[in-house]
Amino acid sequence: MKNILEVKNLSVSFDSPAGEVQAVRDVSFSLQKGEVLAIVGESGCGKSVLCKSIMKLLPSSAKIKEGSICIHGTDITDYREREMQRIRGKVFSMIFQDPMTSLNPTIKIGQQIAEAVLVHDKKKTKDQVYERVIELMELVGIEHPHARYHLYPYNFSGGMRQRSVMAIALASNPDILFADEPTTALDVTIQAQILDLLREIQKKLGTSTILVSHDLGVVARAADRVAVMYAGKIVEIGTAEEVYYDPRHPYTWGLMQSLPAFSRGKDRLYTIPGMPPTLVNPPQGDAYACRNEYALGIDYEEMPPMFRITDTHYAATWLLDERAPKIEPPVGGKCFE
Amino acid sequence: MRKHNRIFYYGKKSLIFLLSVLVLSLVVFYVARLAPGDPLVSYYGDRTEKMSPQEREWAMEKLGLNEPIHVQYVKWIENAFHGEFGISFKYKQDVVEVISGRIVNTLLLGGIGFLCIFVGSLLLGVFCAWHEERLTDRVLCRLGTISSCIPEFWLSLVLILIFAVTFRILPSSGAYSTGKAEDVGDRIIHLILPLTVVTLEHLWYYAYMIRNKILEEVRADYVLLAKSKGLPKRSILFKHCLRNVMPAYLSIMAIAVPHVLGGTFVVESVFSYPGIGALSYESARYHDYNLLMILCMMSGILVIFCNMLSQIINEHIDPRMKASEVTETSEVKAV
Repeated sequence: MKNILEVKNLSVSFDSPAGEVQAVRDVSFSLQKGEVLAIVGESGCGKSVLCKSIMKLLPSSAKIKEGSICIHGTDITDYREREMQRIRGKVFSMIFQDPMTSLNPTIKIGQQIAEAVLVHDKKKTKDQVYERVIELMELVGIEHPHARYHLYPYNFSGGMRQRSVMAIALASNPDILFADEPTTALDVTIQAQILDLLREIQKKLGTSTILVSHDLGVVARAADRVAVMYAGKIVEIGTAEEVYYDPRHPYTWGLMQSLPAFSRGKDRLYTIPGMPPTLVNPPQGDAYACRNEYALGIDYEEMPPMFRITDTHYAATWLLDERAPKIEPPVGGKCFE
Repeated sequence: MRKHNRIFYYGKKSLIFLLSVLVLSLVVFYVARLAPGDPLVSYYGDRTEKMSPQEREWAMEKLGLNEPIHVQYVKWIENAFHGEFGISFKYKQDVVEVISGRIVNTLLLGGIGFLCIFVGSLLLGVFCAWHEERLTDRVLCRLGTISSCIPEFWLSLVLILIFAVTFRILPSSGAYSTGKAEDVGDRIIHLILPLTVVTLEHLWYYAYMIRNKILEEVRADYVLLAKSKGLPKRSILFKHCLRNVMPAYLSIMAIAVPHVLGGTFVVESVFSYPGIGALSYESARYHDYNLLMILCMMSGILVIFCNMLSQIINEHIDPRMKASEVTETSEVKAV
């Protein structure tokens, strides 16, 4: 299969009064046509920044320091705002975290979708645009689209708004869809609906999707491949089966152990001790070392490279080095069976 | 049910309006009359000094000033309801006539000034927001702050000094040259300096407000979605952000009407521009009670009206406001 998106050694930094915040550090991954890649990790480990930096939606204080972003084999790393405008919406678009704020409160839902339809196809007549908007609203499961075309966002519930945002994102049939924690701000009951919808649409249209989440349960439901991010780096990447049933990085173990399902029958839920490091001066060596009960001496000194486990499964931990002591992983696939 | 609410809403507003106007008239009436000074001077001029006590009493009675203030007030109200506002002591004419000769001048200055401020600050604000934190924006911000710190009368004097005294290219006072009242070009030439002062004094204040409101909007989440749709910056700024800023701007501009009016009053006195402003200054100074009353009432009504208008605009343009209105009424029902 051909890679639709290829990110190589991408580093993104913010200028802040405290110094340079290295939000994304040396990240490489690729996305194939029609697949769902999930990016998981704690809050503040650079998941959203990674997506926004690919779409160049970051504020001007953020800079791509290094690396390249290729779409369909074309390098877009140095694209300026004007060139980005042409491909945003058409090549890739994005669903944001909070549907309560991501729609313009004073414009009718239908018009906001119509705007997205028109932006890459200005030749469409009014009727064609209207038809397309209705079609999109039906696609994302908004009932009575003709009546709801004329409603404002405040008339909609959170789930309906997120559906509208999806309709906007899908308006120009993008090749890649970034879903930045699309269910975090929603009710638990709605979360499942939106995820299923996302998956269903993705299957129907064949859109490649990058799903950002900090919820492993959400990811298990939807993803083909999973990338685990920590402190701005991808620490483990593999197919969903590989990462869920055979996790290799201690951070992935920690995340898995934190799942309520893993603590079933116990009094307390497991938590990873400590907090992610600030990214102003990220620690030398493995950033996870100081929270890692399996940390080796070398973890504090040298950054581990990506070790290959299978052709699709890689992890960055010194535990995979042949000289490292053999450790029985505390988690495996058992808790998911 | 909904229509009923609307009638109730406007009824309440009108009631508040009438009450405010009534209180205003009462306060102005009392304050004017209790202020020290001799109202007869404005009617009889220098002759007042030579008047005998009997003559004075007779004159006071003739002008209706010898009765207690509350009686005078009731009489004034009665007459006002019949459309009679009395005569001006100084001009010895019906006050309505005195004003009607001047009001056009003020409306011209204030109206054009207001339009200039309205359009100018919108353009300037959007321009600055577009070039946020770039050199043009920074320079304009500094210049704007300086311009709005200069007092009106001082700026007027400096402009008069430069354009009327040194270069002699613009007239320093009046609304038109003698005998040229109908000449549009002549009027425009006379308007340039006062208009410049009125506009410059207020322009930046509102432009800065627009700039900051837009910048606030630009940082809103929906702008990210609009961007990710592929909309160009221009569309986002004008179709999305400006649209959301407009209700606030309109209501601010409605409040601005009295401010601009106050500004024209000062400017009129400096430029001896024959308008309402210069007239109210005179009437207050010479205890021309009837004239003062009607001028204060006119400006006061305008101020109160504009404030209410801004409130109503705010409540009606933004659809979310309507939503809160609906829930409010349903809550009332529930109670």
